[in-house]
Amino acid sequence: MNTAVERRFPGPLEVPAPAGAEGWQSMYSPYLLFSEENAEWESSLFWYWDGMHRPDIEYPFDTIVHEAYMMSVSAVVSRIFAVPGDQAAASRVLNGRLYLADVPFAAEGESERRMPIFVRRAGHYFENWSQLNENWIAKLERLISDLTEIEIPELPTLEDDSVVLSGRGFSTGYVLLQAYDRLVQNIFLAYQYHFELLLLAYVAQMNLQDFVRATLRGLSQQTLAKLTSGVELRQFRPDEELKLLARKALDLGLGARLRAPAAPDTIIEQLRADAAGREWVAALDQAKDPWFYVSAGTGLFHNERAWIDDLSVPWAAITGYLDRLERGEIIDRPQGEILRERDHLTAEYRALLPTPEDQVAFDESLELARLVAPHLQDHNFYIEHRHHTIFWNKMRALADRVVAARLLDEQEDLFFLNRWEVGQVLFDTANSWAQTSPGRGRHWRSLVTRRREIMDALRADVPQPALGAVPKAIGGVMSAQFGITMETIDQWLAPQAERDNQLRGIAASGGVAEGPARIVLGSDEIGTVQDGDILVCPSTAPAWAPVFGKVRATVSDVGGVMCHAAILCREYGLPAVLGTGVATRHIRTGDLVRVDGNEGTVTLLARAGSH
Amino acid sequence: MPHVLDLAECSRVSLDEIGGKARGLGRLLEQSLEVPPGFVVTTGAYREWMRANGFDGQIERLLARADGVTALQDVADDALRLLEGAELESSEIDVAYRRLPGGPSVPVAIRSSAIDEDAAGASFAGAQDTHLSITGHREVRRHIVRCWASLFTPAAISYRRRLGLDHRGHAMAVVVQRMVAAEAAGVMFSLDPLSGDPSQITVESTFGLGGALVSGDVTPDRFSVDKVTLEIRSRVISVKPFADRIVDGEVSRVELDSRRAEMSSLADDEVLALARVAKAAERQMDRAIDMEWALGPGPSGRRHLYLLQARPETVWSNTPRSTDPPETPRASTSSAMSRIAFGMRQNTNRHPETET
Repeated sequence: MNTAVERRFPGPLEVPAPAGAEGWQSMYSPYLLFSEENAEWESSLFWYWDGMHRPDIEYPFDTIVHEAYMMSVSAVVSRIFAVPGDQAAASRVLNGRLYLADVPFAAEGESERRMPIFVRRAGHYFENWSQLNENWIAKLERLISDLTEIEIPELPTLEDDSVVLSGRGFSTGYVLLQAYDRLVQNIFLAYQYHFELLLLAYVAQMNLQDFVRATLRGLSQQTLAKLTSGVELRQFRPDEELKLLARKALDLGLGARLRAPAAPDTIIEQLRADAAGREWVAALDQAKDPWFYVSAGTGLFHNERAWIDDLSVPWAAITGYLDRLERGEIIDRPQGEILRERDHLTAEYRALLPTPEDQVAFDESLELARLVAPHLQDHNFYIEHRHHTIFWNKMRALADRVVAARLLDEQEDLFFLNRWEVGQVLFDTANSWAQTSPGRGRHWRSLVTRRREIMDALRADVPQPALGAVPKAIGGVMSAQFGITMETIDQWLAPQAERDNQLRGIAASGGVAEGPARIVLGSDEIGTVQDGDILVCPSTAPAWAPVFGKVRATVSDVGGVMCHAAILCREYGLPAVLGTGVATRHIRTGDLVRVDGNEGTVTLLARAGSH
Repeated sequence: MPHVLDLAECSRVSLDEIGGKARGLGRLLEQSLEVPPGFVVTTGAYREWMRANGFDGQIERLLARADGVTALQDVADDALRLLEGAELESSEIDVAYRRLPGGPSVPVAIRSSAIDEDAAGASFAGAQDTHLSITGHREVRRHIVRCWASLFTPAAISYRRRLGLDHRGHAMAVVVQRMVAAEAAGVMFSLDPLSGDPSQITVESTFGLGGALVSGDVTPDRFSVDKVTLEIRSRVISVKPFADRIVDGEVSRVELDSRRAEMSSLADDEVLALARVAKAAERQMDRAIDMEWALGPGPSGRRHLYLLQARPETVWSNTPRSTDPPETPRASTSSAMSRIAFGMRQNTNRHPETET
């Protein structure tokens, strides 16, 4: 690091469009793009690719999700809680990938000025956490029920009599436009709520980490995480429901029938033929709402389907559990054991602290971290999974209406338009319906056709992990959650050769494992994972839970000690090295790798085909 | 009071009689931890011998000279000559030596056990004598006298002066133990000696006898082990160009080939076995400790674990650990909040430079 060569990443405007992706900028709103207008400010910041949340190229419509969450989290930090020592985060899209940057304070001493305000406001939330969390859940239930009620009407040739007889006064075309507006409002409100408690939950976690850094320096991150683990999390409930269904199938002697070589829906129909089968199907239906409203991916993208949409994912998991039960294996999540270990560790570390004051500080920090722990998982289940499963299905229904109006060819096409353009194409749909006139179908189709090409070209491009200036220090709550540290930055800057055979990342779950790598770039590739594979992915999603029963270890490009994958790996006892920055690009499926979850290293032992 | 005590009898005898080293070893034996068999020659033996030979007055006069113009080294040389000129006759010592397992001329290690050495708060590490691989009862007695004479080295004299201790009241006990021809040896601390982190056990190790490590002649391998989970948290394997070994009854420095020099001197399970011992011993003694250890021939094979020394750790832990419940008020949100605010100030003010 004593090199005289200037350490910096390419400037945002220096990165060319990949061949075939020229004009990609037209897919996104101008405020999402790096610009000449703001070039000086933008190139002074450190921008990192958020591959953790946005591993794929941004579909023009799907940016609605990060627009909603980046606006929300930044306001929580900068305008609502006035978090000291932390900044808002700015977001930009470059070559179809989302980059984030911490925005520094404009004025010296701003952090200190915020302190009393933050202490008062955050103090109120921590003081009333349980009540506020209950209120939060009630708000989310209401929001989800509002969302569910949004009707996406088909446009009739002639309105029904009831429209007239009830004196409704507006057309179904208007209802369709209103539906879209309500959907947009609803998802923006969902993200306003998303960070209401979450940011403070991160603060409480960092407080515990700070305490430990001062007193028990050598404590591993995994052990630290274990001190707050084991709380009965909604996050695990869907997986638990699958285990219960597997056990019930075993008890009812339905194993062979569940494994019939047919689609789940067909098997369900066959099961309904007799009492035992009906009993099991009733249990399945009971479990579905809400526990099957989990995305097979992160929930953040329209093309990730949820269990409720496609039963094949939970079905494979149920039969997998059934196999294990029949072999006499124990499939229960070792909840009691996790809690016992947690309490044992807590008592031992506490006793090691030299003074009673340290012990009280330990108790306080731990108590606060445990208080907030359930919310860290709950927000994800309520919003990314339940809410978004419904949201994306409503959007698909809207797309169907546009296709029915012959303005697009297929449902998927709609997501190649950004959220403002979707408003336009829907107006074109409702308006051309009302005016019984032709719409601009050829215009919309040509946009989509070109954008499909652009997306393919962007997808083939290897993204820059970071852009702009190398920061002096990384300290924000957000970048910490993303696992971005000075070490990861060094790793990204390291010459190719240095990182050829060994990758460094965050030791997120202990243990060492060797095996063949399996690159999984998206949730649609989950099915390729074989028993004993090492999962290598851009980032992991909690609903991949069934996969964790198969893999030996997990490696990711982006992620930290407290991300969902890390929690799952620790609970399943799998080594995990996260936040390597480059694993999916340097490792290939079939490569033999060793994952050391204690040291945070991934070693390439042999290339695919050479062993 | 007998002049010779078996180490197993030493856990409750006053420091004044047997010194810190012997009592530390006695405490280890009390916990059923393995210590090479041995005995201690008490301060009573020293005092009686000094009196019988009329040395007290002569030493007094020598030391008085050192207050004047004569260099400490001259005084020390004269004291050594004086004491070594007289024979120590003791059938008690000869009987204890012959009783040691390993035959009538078993090699032993002879170490001073000073009454203020190894006391919590004043670690006088290595300032006194150690004689290795001594064989035969006559030689054993001669080296016991040499240990006694080490009370009057320049370092020991000035050390006592600095602490305002009286030379006259001073005495030395001596520990005699069967020699362990170590394959590997080192020290360990029941905390991280660099940060004071009480959750990390630190083990340092080198090939052969531990002297080269204690003296700083070799950079040891270094391991950190989490005291609670007993995971090895870090390993730094150093190049150890030589090992001190017993060759033909003498300690000699043996060069290691480069492949061997770069190998770890301990296997992981040995590191963990050591850490378990440190954890248990700390719990028994209710304070942070440091220990010297050796792996050598014994009941479990060529790498049997022996503890050579245990004493209170002196840098980080001048107070015993409290296991009592705190009297300060229960955890509360408001005090947690001020802690968070404090932490944020620290974080905000922390601007680690990336360029060094």
